[in-house]
Amino acid sequence: MTTATTVVDVHGLEKTYGKANERQYRALKDINFSVAEGEFVGIMGASGSGKTTLLNMLSTLDTPTKGDVIVNGHDVTKMRGNQLADFRAQEVGFIFQDFNLLESLTAEENIGLPLALKGTASKVMDQAIHEVAETLSIADLLQKYPAELSGGQKQRVAAARAIVHHPSILMGDEPTGALDSTSARELLDLLTTINQKQAMSVLLVTHDPFSASFCQRILFIKDGQIGSELKRGSQDRAAFYQQILTELGTFNE
Amino acid sequence: MLGKLALAGIKNRRRDYLVLLAGLTMSAAIFYMFANLATNRAFIKANAVVSQASLIFGFGAVLLILITVVYIMYANSFLLSMRQHDYGLFMMLGATRKRVGELVFLETLILGTIATAIGIVLGLLMSKFLVGFLLNMLGLHLAHLTAAYVPAIIATAVLYVGLFILASLFNLVRLTRTTVLNLLHSDEQANQPKVKPFRQLIQGTLGIVFLAIGYWALAAIKVLQVMAIPVALVTITLGTYLLFRATILVIIRGLRHTAWAKKHLNGFLLGQLNFRVHNYTRMLTIVSLLFAMALGAITVGSGYHKQLPMMAKTIGTYTIAVHDKTPVEQKLMDQLHVAYTATYTQKRQGKMVYYNADEIAKQPVEQQRYKKSGQPEAQLYTQSLKDFKKSGTQDMDFMALALGKIGAYTPKILSAEQFAKQTGKTVTVTTIRVKDLQQDKKPLKQLNKLENKRFAAPDGMTVGSYQGFEMMNGFFGGLEFMGYFLGIAFLAMLASCLMFKILSGAPGDQRRYRMLYKVGVRQNLMRWGIAKEIGILFLIPGIMGVIDVLFGLQMFKPLMSAPMSPYLGIGSTFLIFIGLYVIYYLITLALYWRIVLPKTTTD
Ligand SMILES: Nc1ncnc2c1ncn2[C@@H]1O[C@H](COP(=O)(O)OP(=O)(O)OP(=O)(O)O)[C@@H](O)[C@H]1O
Ligand SMILES: [Mg+2]
Repeated sequence: MTTATTVVDVHGLEKTYGKANERQYRALKDINFSVAEGEFVGIMGASGSGKTTLLNMLSTLDTPTKGDVIVNGHDVTKMRGNQLADFRAQEVGFIFQDFNLLESLTAEENIGLPLALKGTASKVMDQAIHEVAETLSIADLLQKYPAELSGGQKQRVAAARAIVHHPSILMGDEPTGALDSTSARELLDLLTTINQKQAMSVLLVTHDPFSASFCQRILFIKDGQIGSELKRGSQDRAAFYQQILTELGTFNE
Repeated sequence: MLGKLALAGIKNRRRDYLVLLAGLTMSAAIFYMFANLATNRAFIKANAVVSQASLIFGFGAVLLILITVVYIMYANSFLLSMRQHDYGLFMMLGATRKRVGELVFLETLILGTIATAIGIVLGLLMSKFLVGFLLNMLGLHLAHLTAAYVPAIIATAVLYVGLFILASLFNLVRLTRTTVLNLLHSDEQANQPKVKPFRQLIQGTLGIVFLAIGYWALAAIKVLQVMAIPVALVTITLGTYLLFRATILVIIRGLRHTAWAKKHLNGFLLGQLNFRVHNYTRMLTIVSLLFAMALGAITVGSGYHKQLPMMAKTIGTYTIAVHDKTPVEQKLMDQLHVAYTATYTQKRQGKMVYYNADEIAKQPVEQQRYKKSGQPEAQLYTQSLKDFKKSGTQDMDFMALALGKIGAYTPKILSAEQFAKQTGKTVTVTTIRVKDLQQDKKPLKQLNKLENKRFAAPDGMTVGSYQGFEMMNGFFGGLEFMGYFLGIAFLAMLASCLMFKILSGAPGDQRRYRMLYKVGVRQNLMRWGIAKEIGILFLIPGIMGVIDVLFGLQMFKPLMSAPMSPYLGIGSTFLIFIGLYVIYYLITLALYWRIVLPKTTTD
């Protein structure tokens, strides 16, 4: 069993795409790592290295071929059907590169969705929505539809939806990928705030060193395996950014 | 190259194309069946009574063409919704608009032509088997009904291919007018309709006023005559449209602010409806009208079917009277389900016909009550011999038992002794009243034929209500058949319209449900949500259609005068119709689920 302070624990994870009689591709090979509560962890790697695949395993959008994934004490590889859906709805907050907002709902309704799924009372729900909207400074956008929002605003709404129900971990797959540098920076600052203020664990997938420099620890994936690891320690972000660049230089050789 | 790409795109969605093709094929087949009936001269000539209903055929044809136009419009929008993303991609990759336009044009036209060709063949087969089956079930016989009729084939082909050329042109214009970006992101644009209370209020009031005028016009068909129909069509269409526009959005908006909207997927459901219903108003209006017409047609058809015997009953007290029955006739009579029978011996001399009082006392003559207005009531009674001698002998049905070249003989009742002495030509006559005319239709028909050969009254008529029933069957049978046929055809088409319109929203929804899946919505909750959403879209025109029919049946009151009534026994007809409608709903739902729901593990 994992200790109480570990939110994610991955053991011998393997993923092979394609059925036994088809052409197979091993996207992940023997992955082992863990994320402690309140930690801000980044996952970096070249395109096609298996970052999205790994995140999909953790968020139960896909099932591993082998190995264990334990999130907040739940062994996700043993879950089925509704359990998986409920797990995603309750334990995981997810921010996607393409926002994934429902354009037929207002920002407020989008944010409230995870609570509605839980069956939260509407008063409690309103309160939670407004709290999170304050934190992310989108209170004045609540009545708007996604089509009326800019990319950066959309992503902030998406972030609000990801954390409104206080999941045990927040995951993002290139959440800054579709944003300009200012918006990207704002979002990363927000993620840092959330991570620090609410002590929420964050797992950020990115190939961008700037984004990665906001993390406390970075795992580098190459060809489906964790190649190396980098810790920020007490250095400031700019120094850590330099360190990441250096690491990438050697890592990619 | 582009052609190959387009073909690959079609292959990827071959199941959706199959649905589309099947729907179009069915539509063409139904149209052919109808055109075959409506345009076949030999058939109409041979069925003189049906030709009186040629006006109805004409009316039906116009309606069917209208539906077909709407239907192809929606089928086309389904096609376009499936393809526009691909087309946008081709353009982005550098294909010229002209080239893509050609592709769109060809694709639509080829699909349409194939559907028309298969549809006509299917229509031929259906004419051969289905129409025969329907007629058989209704106990109708229509002569000269051939399955293959060249003018009908041409009419169908011209109409359908013509419409598809129009649809292709429409697609072409649509594609060349919209920007590549809009094509690529067509399903992401949500236009949020605004609610303007004052305008909404006026729309709603106007809608109700129009509906009231329309319903009144239908009820007042005696005054307005033929004008009632176009007046009602226009006002009810307008009224329904305005009412939908005014109310549906307001209701959805209202619901959105309740606590109920914040539970589970309810908010999502309302959001979906909110952003759909506005676009759907026109379609829902049309569908509700079609629904009303289909249901109305079937109700009237089955109304005639059920009520003709009732009407016939009032024509005479006995179903049939057989004179000097032969052994063959006796055999047929034995097959009947008799409610009342009597046999009398007649002696005919000069202008007189004599009856034996003993026989009449033993088997009293059934008579019919008449209202003060002179209208017959469907109630029978008998009199004592004494009373009968006084007034009963004047009864038309009784007098009709002895008809000759001179007309009716004058009846006189003699005591048994006097009767025995009386000279004259002896004839025995047996009157039979059956329990259910429809049930004994076959032996009655033969009996009537045999009777007609030997004892035809002037004009080749026999006496008894069966003859009247047969005549009415000929006259109204055409109406009855039309009712059923049009009803089924309308239902098939309207439900397909709805289906395609709804399905054309499916590709856009695919993304939405994928998002919900990622956010952690249970599969069942999504299934339910979709079932509710589509259910509401089916329900709205259904309810409106039922209301329309309930009022619209007023129109048939003059045609189905007492004791018939257009409202009699509509419950079972409604149930069957709604059952069929529900089947369409389930099919649409199953298709929608298949297109929209994310695979459970991964994609
Ligand atoms: N559904 C699938 N079927 C087969 N192979 C897949 C599938 N999904 C991903 N792969 C393969 O697995 C490998 C890892 O893909 P993954 O999407 O995880 O990469 P990534 O690190 O997220 O890349 P990027 O930075 O470009 O997003 C790739 O080589 C990809 O081709
Ligand atoms: Mg990726």
